[in-house]
Amino acid sequence: MDIRKNNENKNQKESSPNQTTDKKKKFGRRDFLKGAAKAAALGSVAMASGCGTALLPSKEERELRWKEYFKKNYRLMTVSEKEETVRRLERLAKIKKDVSIQMSSKAAIPGVLYGYAFNVTRCEGFMECVAACVKENNLDRKSKTQYIRIFEMEPGEMAPAAGNGKYFHEVPVEGHFYMGAQCFHCENPPCVKACPTKATWKEPDGIVVVDYNWCIGCRYCMAACPYYGRRFNWHDPEVPAKEMTKKQHYLGNRMRARGQMEKCTFCVQRTREGRLPACVEACPTGARVFGNLLDPKSEIRFVLKNKKVFRLKEELTTDPKFWYFID
Amino acid sequence: MIRDVMNISRCKKNIFRIFAALFFILAGKTAYCGSGGVIETYKNATAPFDDEKLVDPMLSFSDHLVLVNIKYQGGKFWTRTRKDKIERFKCSKCHNNQDVNRPEAAKIAHGDIRLVHGGQEKPLQCFTCHNKDDRDFLVTEKGVIIDMDHSYKLCGQCHFRQKKDWVGGAHGKRVSYWAGKRVVRNCTSCHNPHSPRFKKRWPATYSHPLD
Repeated sequence: MDIRKNNENKNQKESSPNQTTDKKKKFGRRDFLKGAAKAAALGSVAMASGCGTALLPSKEERELRWKEYFKKNYRLMTVSEKEETVRRLERLAKIKKDVSIQMSSKAAIPGVLYGYAFNVTRCEGFMECVAACVKENNLDRKSKTQYIRIFEMEPGEMAPAAGNGKYFHEVPVEGHFYMGAQCFHCENPPCVKACPTKATWKEPDGIVVVDYNWCIGCRYCMAACPYYGRRFNWHDPEVPAKEMTKKQHYLGNRMRARGQMEKCTFCVQRTREGRLPACVEACPTGARVFGNLLDPKSEIRFVLKNKKVFRLKEELTTDPKFWYFID
Repeated sequence: MIRDVMNISRCKKNIFRIFAALFFILAGKTAYCGSGGVIETYKNATAPFDDEKLVDPMLSFSDHLVLVNIKYQGGKFWTRTRKDKIERFKCSKCHNNQDVNRPEAAKIAHGDIRLVHGGQEKPLQCFTCHNKDDRDFLVTEKGVIIDMDHSYKLCGQCHFRQKKDWVGGAHGKRVSYWAGKRVVRNCTSCHNPHSPRFKKRWPATYSHPLD
């Protein structure tokens, strides 16, 4: 906000009558160059937006983009600012891509800490979860980004790295088991510590999220994550407007851009409304259990109490909220 | 005097060693017990969480629901009905001791059923589960008549471990919501009772090789 005000002030100063009269008096080499630079900038904008000044973005769009450019980090925004931002993004999506989305900035529900359990015995590798995740989270169809990976494992193995993550044949195969991996939403997340711009953090309900606009794309978090939980956009993600999930969340499945990091958010747009994440809902074998860790009657607590559970790379003290269990 | 000084310095050394050892033990303990970690957090959370108001109770579950006769750790829960999804229910429309004047009626009605249940040593028969006397109902080995909507009772007589897990939440899955009124899928929502194992098939998608 401050930066924007300053800029406006500057503009006003430049166009104030006193200065213009001064300029008229001594129109030198410097002023000429200034003018030329401005003309060149305008020209290049026109070129970029598709030749000719008639196709320049509308005044409304330019204003929205200007405001969008100077918005704060999500955690510093007030509730009204969040609301304003979300409305702006909805309008921009309408103008730019002609899609009417509904974006939310719903805060974490108090008294909730999300936990996830994955039944290694039940998973049969149908990958319905992966397909549902791609659809729900508007993942890039071109580069085939996926948050979830399913590994086909030999008996006795424990680490997904040793499994086959590229299988494509009829499943389940005799003598193999299947293990899914995604972001584990660590309670002590190394990715958050690695971020130099504070673009990623842990929400009060335990979800590790990214403010896409504050991400500078340095990929330190990707390097810091011991579970390969993060994905990077090398190009602008391509999602056909028809297939786009319209119900979005600012921290969740809204459209990302090139050079931004993204990751599983436990479908924040769904879970904060009491719904199950897309992967849990899509699972045909019931291998995925999701719920509130702080609720003694929840399914996840039942699993943790009654089943043999383990977490990946527990010795790193990242404290993931994602357990594997066997029947 | 010199001896005393030596003793004191020795004592000091020993004390220092004890502290060092204690430090390592405690540090190790905190690292391995994960104190302050998420396990501690959830173990300390014993107060019931009221999530009923989180989800609008008016939100329609697309299916008809039936109250399960067992209670889970959180009280009552519901499951999907079965009877309204069986194509030819009620069964007594045909199975009523009257002649059916249509050739191959049994084949037309039930020809698609392949009974692959119970393994090779002890394959199940129709009347292991279906009630011979009243076809609208199921029957357990002990002769208890069971409504088709409450098939979990019938399945649970053999698959008691799965039933226990289903009631608790480690087997099967909830419908749509993690919060609010607990609605879970019935046994027959996922498994075909006549051949309960999931069929082999192609995965829905494939993973792009990493980088």
